[in-house]
Amino acid sequence: MKPTQIFAILFAALMATCPFFLNAYWTDVMNNVGIYAILALSLNVILGHAGLFHMGHAAFYAIGAYLTAILNTQYGVPVLWLILPAGLMAGFFALIVARPIIHLRGDYLLIVTIGIVEIVRIALINNVFDITGGANGIYGISRPMLFGFKIAKPFHFYYLIWSFAALTIFLLIRLEHSRFGRALHYIKEDEVAAGGCGINIARYKLEAFVIGAVWAGMCGTIYASKMTIIAPESFSFDESVILFTIVILGGAGSIPGVILGSFLLVGLPEVFRGFAEYRMLIFGAAMMAMMIFRNRGLLPPRPKRYKLGEIASAGGAK
Amino acid sequence: MEQFFQQLTNGLAVGGIYALIALGYTMVYGVLKLINFAHGDLFSIGAYLGLTLLLSMGLFDKIGALASVLLLVVMVMVLVAIIGALLERVAYKPLRQSHRLTAVVSALGASIFFQNAIMAIYGPGLLVYPHDLLPRIAVNIFGVDIPLMRIVMFLASVVLMAALYFFIQKTKIGTAIRAVAIDQGAARLMGINVDRVIMLVFCIGPALGGSAGLMVGLYYGQINFNMGWMYGLKAFTAAILGGIGNIPGAMLGGLLLGVIEAMGAAYISIAWKDALSFGVLILILIARPTGLLGERVAEKV
Amino acid sequence: MKQRICTLVCLSVMVCMLGMGTGWAKTVRIGLMCPLTGSWASEGQDMKQIVEMLVAQSNEAGGINGIQVDLVVEDDGGDPRQAALAATRLTTKDIAAVIGTYGSSVTEASQNIYAESDILQVATGSTAIRLTEKGLPLFMRTCPRDDEQGMVAAKTLDKLGFKKIAILHDNTSYAKGLADEAKALLKSEGKEIVFFDALTPGERDYNAILTKLKSSVPDVLFFTGYYPEAGMILRQKMDMGWNVPMLGGDATNNPDLVKIAGEKAAEGYMFLSPPVPGDLNTPEAKKFLTDYKAAYGKAPGSVWAVLAGDAYRVIAEAVAQTGATKSDKLAAYLKHDLKDFSGLTGKISFNDKGDRVGDLYRVYKVDAAGKFILQP
Repeated sequence: MKPTQIFAILFAALMATCPFFLNAYWTDVMNNVGIYAILALSLNVILGHAGLFHMGHAAFYAIGAYLTAILNTQYGVPVLWLILPAGLMAGFFALIVARPIIHLRGDYLLIVTIGIVEIVRIALINNVFDITGGANGIYGISRPMLFGFKIAKPFHFYYLIWSFAALTIFLLIRLEHSRFGRALHYIKEDEVAAGGCGINIARYKLEAFVIGAVWAGMCGTIYASKMTIIAPESFSFDESVILFTIVILGGAGSIPGVILGSFLLVGLPEVFRGFAEYRMLIFGAAMMAMMIFRNRGLLPPRPKRYKLGEIASAGGAK
Repeated sequence: MEQFFQQLTNGLAVGGIYALIALGYTMVYGVLKLINFAHGDLFSIGAYLGLTLLLSMGLFDKIGALASVLLLVVMVMVLVAIIGALLERVAYKPLRQSHRLTAVVSALGASIFFQNAIMAIYGPGLLVYPHDLLPRIAVNIFGVDIPLMRIVMFLASVVLMAALYFFIQKTKIGTAIRAVAIDQGAARLMGINVDRVIMLVFCIGPALGGSAGLMVGLYYGQINFNMGWMYGLKAFTAAILGGIGNIPGAMLGGLLLGVIEAMGAAYISIAWKDALSFGVLILILIARPTGLLGERVAEKV
Repeated sequence: MKQRICTLVCLSVMVCMLGMGTGWAKTVRIGLMCPLTGSWASEGQDMKQIVEMLVAQSNEAGGINGIQVDLVVEDDGGDPRQAALAATRLTTKDIAAVIGTYGSSVTEASQNIYAESDILQVATGSTAIRLTEKGLPLFMRTCPRDDEQGMVAAKTLDKLGFKKIAILHDNTSYAKGLADEAKALLKSEGKEIVFFDALTPGERDYNAILTKLKSSVPDVLFFTGYYPEAGMILRQKMDMGWNVPMLGGDATNNPDLVKIAGEKAAEGYMFLSPPVPGDLNTPEAKKFLTDYKAAYGKAPGSVWAVLAGDAYRVIAEAVAQTGATKSDKLAAYLKHDLKDFSGLTGKISFNDKGDRVGDLYRVYKVDAAGKFILQP
């Protein structure tokens, strides 16, 4: 067994048992870490794998959360049924808005995505279509029911969130090694050469965008059901910035890195609580220091290795 | 029609400030391809330092309004330039060879740090510049009342921008800055000290941002620790609108953004005006993917 | 400095451990949740200062009937997600009651968490109507509700004889709620609403908005947002040479308003607010003011932070009267037995829902010297 595999198994075992050692507060911190990890992993597809400068991920997350909240409070649809519709809605929205802008160069794309998240937030705050509740947001979202069991305590949510996170990790690892993942990797490393090899760049980029958005929308459902109230300030530009930072700080394109990044960015402000009003000061300094000393991210993606023999035998089997 | 002109002047006044801050973004971007997210906070620092100097030295009583404002502008520009250069040295220089987004995250960290440092030093509440430092007279031009200070402020930002433009275009150092912006390696081979040039850019950009902060403080009076974030975001939008890396573009983008906001507020909806200006930005970028005055170049390979 | 902080932390930890371990003194642990960072940091830090001072006073006096008070402060950052975390953290600290917090949506994110842990919550700045309409048995607040203020606003505007009214809010849940309440009432009274829109808080230049407002020719401008914006509007309104009367909500009750606007521009500005300690003739209010000035060298800022002080004082009163440190007993006492308690913001009683009762609102007007003068 390789050391990384041993480490992964140890990590999984620790995660599966840790609520038994933690009190409600630290369990809830872990829940927040989990939500951000899922969101950051979904952003990682866009930012890390496809290399698109996207700083507006909270927009898709917001759409998923609001769809869940509206359908649940107005029509009484059970929350967990809404995971898929929320994801699809967010993906659909991403498809519409990303289609005309996907060809923009790095920093221009960055400001456009900031623009999108701001427009979404302003629309929510202005109570667009009279369904978003304005600045008050939407309250009274029901708790998720799973086989007749009501998920309400941080302890219960821990398992809901982290099993979803585990599923996300599993699927994203598969995605990374698929044809799609390899194409994205190529585009990120050298767009012109990738285009020259016949890869449809715009289509792959758009697909990456939509996949990331779908996942963020699904995460929105979980967030809405956990908080039971959602308000526009939870989906501001700042939130997008945090997600962006998690991905870059952890190591763009590296799944373990992004998970570590979410632990640090969500966990550190909580660890620094003892410093009261100075905690964000220390946090900012820590962010700079981490970037300076680990400037490829904390756990950068490792170069891909393919053993000659395996490729040959795989080719032979086909 | 009168309302239209009134709104136009409102927009230009706000836009002048945006343009001045946008210059800092665009210059840094020009040489380093880095979006300096801490730039907005350097703007706040300018406003706070200006207030501290103003109160501690009691200039207005000693040498009169005009001389003291000028002196204040110079001092604030120098101090913020030093902070800008330090920021570059500490947070960006070690990252110059790494991926571009790495420095962006470092800049975001610096922004959080500065914001909270201001809060720790000056307290979380807002601070107010003393009143009646500046004359409050309105001038009537074409039937529109414009406060004199707005005209002065607008002219001051135009003068600063013009000075910068000529500095970049006509002087030897300006040529060196342009050379570094185009190709660092080639510039180094031509005997240009690239580190010094970058350091200089990190003095000029923050100095302009700091002077904008001082102007906002003097004219609007109220400053608080997180005001730089909003101004920074607006100025970044303006820089992109004009084509980032392009100095006249930043000026045009700033003024245009101010006018779009004022017109949006006047004729459509105040609550939606920010969404509207972002909407216009997105439409412009769809039509012209590198901004209004940006060069149409393919992404470097 | 570092060393001193270190020693201080060590000492306080030791004191806490001693206090818990030996059990020689009965203590009651009270939580305070407030925004120490983020946009509302100034309110939160004021809340913390006020409550800390009052707690220190209780403890110096030998505790509340011999019961020592242990205050636990948590930062909610003015954001619902962080508030939920802060609330969960407080629930693990064995607290009897919690004070806070400021914004309505932030309070709402914490309500369920305290309710599920059976902890009494006394909110201080959360005026949204629905918070007390949910029937949570352990929730109450020391601030009045939006609908009450809306009613007072409509009455005041009517009394002053204004017909064409412009309403400006800032799209925060508090300002929007108040604006909506007032608009509905004014419309039903046959007043003409010539303008209804929201500005973006935190900006510096509101000239574009004022130019538009001016063209709608209102008799009065009713602004429901906060004091930084109100001050800027007053100042820029004067610079424009437009002297329409302006009425504000209680979020503009802050001495900084006059500092921002300048005395000349602020003169004649009216606002609605619960009385501040400076207007009360009670010994409690006077003592509070002198103590606060002695401790922090300035007068307390907004009325909202003082409401946190009142929240602490009613909890302390409940502990003193019942001798209990359990949430349900404290809540029962506050809701049913506390009558006309002499608070720092006027008399305090609560109804069954947990809302503060009694007509609290007064009209204030700014005079030429920039003082807030209570109107008869």
